[in-house]
Amino acid sequence: MVASSPLVKMQSLHKSYGDGAVQVLKGIDIEMKPGERLVVIGPSGGGKSTLLRVMMGLEQIDSGSITFAGQPYVSSASREKKTLIDTEVRRSIGMVFQHYTLFPHLNILQNLVLAPRKVRNEPKASAEARALSLLERFGLAAKARAYPAQLSGGQKQRVAIARALMLDPKLMLFDEVTSALDPELVSEVEHVIMQLADQDMPMMIVTHDMWFAKNIASRVIFCAGGVVVEDGPPEQVLGSPREERTREFIERVFHIKQ
Amino acid sequence: MDLDFTIVLRYYDALLIGLWTTVQLTMVCIALGCALGFVTALGRTSKNFALRAITGTYVELFRGTPVLIQLFWIFFCLPLILGVELSNFISATIALTLYMGAISSETFRASLKSVGSEQLDACIALGLPRSVQIRNIIMPQAVLRAVPTLLSNCVSLFKESALVSAVGMADLMFVGQNISNNIARPVEVLTVVAIIYFVIAFPITRAVTFVERRMLIRLAI
Repeated sequence: MVASSPLVKMQSLHKSYGDGAVQVLKGIDIEMKPGERLVVIGPSGGGKSTLLRVMMGLEQIDSGSITFAGQPYVSSASREKKTLIDTEVRRSIGMVFQHYTLFPHLNILQNLVLAPRKVRNEPKASAEARALSLLERFGLAAKARAYPAQLSGGQKQRVAIARALMLDPKLMLFDEVTSALDPELVSEVEHVIMQLADQDMPMMIVTHDMWFAKNIASRVIFCAGGVVVEDGPPEQVLGSPREERTREFIERVFHIKQ
Repeated sequence: MDLDFTIVLRYYDALLIGLWTTVQLTMVCIALGCALGFVTALGRTSKNFALRAITGTYVELFRGTPVLIQLFWIFFCLPLILGVELSNFISATIALTLYMGAISSETFRASLKSVGSEQLDACIALGLPRSVQIRNIIMPQAVLRAVPTLLSNCVSLFKESALVSAVGMADLMFVGQNISNNIARPVEVLTVVAIIYFVIAFPITRAVTFVERRMLIRLAI
């Protein structure tokens, strides 16, 4: 792979609900380079989360395609109205959700080792050793045998991140991962994501936290009404946006914060 | 009226054999019925119309008719239609299994529904194959959530199993009835039989509360 070739290339993504009644994505084209940390901001219902879900293959699309490291993995077969997903390619991508989605009947260690054991047939001992060292790194070693219900929201979300990392993803998707957390728990989760950023993990983040966006992004995309309105470095999009709609949104968000 | 409960002790052996038959029959039908119920619940929540129609018809038929009719029908009518003789144990097993399958499928259906779509999103994001999703995520959660209601279903089945005495199967009820007829002591014998049923069923109904409190709260599912 040539260094300048895109890691992710989305082409003309269209998605609607209810047989075209509600259009959520109206032609999204984004190219993401390796090592980029893309933060997607925008009003609710603007298609941000849908975009991440489409990238993970959790949603069907009407038309368009996505390639990952040059390999196409999401495409629409318009005749069958079905989205084709290459699950092998998709396994290079990890995702963390707003509501943790840990498996409640498995303890933390079991949550972490399930996918490597079942997807890659990794031996139990090696998977557990990797899981424990990840938990150690995230300050959760003492919780290995606890069940998700016994953890705080911040701890659960850090476990969810560790679980995704167990599969050695080449790209991480974070979908409003701090939105459900109590304010005092937000920083511990953001701190973990910052750690990953320091290790040059490519990531795409949907967030409402502008402070976090500013600190972590190498590039910010403002998405509204199903299209990309503005795309540029954080200083531009968050600091002095060129588009009127971006400016209105940024002002409103920062106003609420103050 | 002169009551003498010690007289029942003389028939201790016979009652125990009857109880053993009841317990065996119930256990077999619980095991087979739960498996049938789970598969039926999968069918009822399936995207396939034919599967939904078949499983739905089965469940509604068995929920909407008396167990005694089901039992009689399988004991008397099925052999006529199929042209084979069924022993009373086999026909009782078939009838109670189908009954348990129908009521437990409703229990499983509710618990399957309660496994949220977010859990499935997480499975997909982790690249888990469909078989692993069902075996390791959906089934354990559905079964755990179903446990309290399933235990109640088991108690119902244990009690309803007394109906098999009507097709001549020598279960606890059948033995009790025979003894009481023979020695003309219905009060003593039938009271003792009722107590035996109660002593077994009651701890299980109490276990429901225990399971709900301990296990489900700890796992918050």
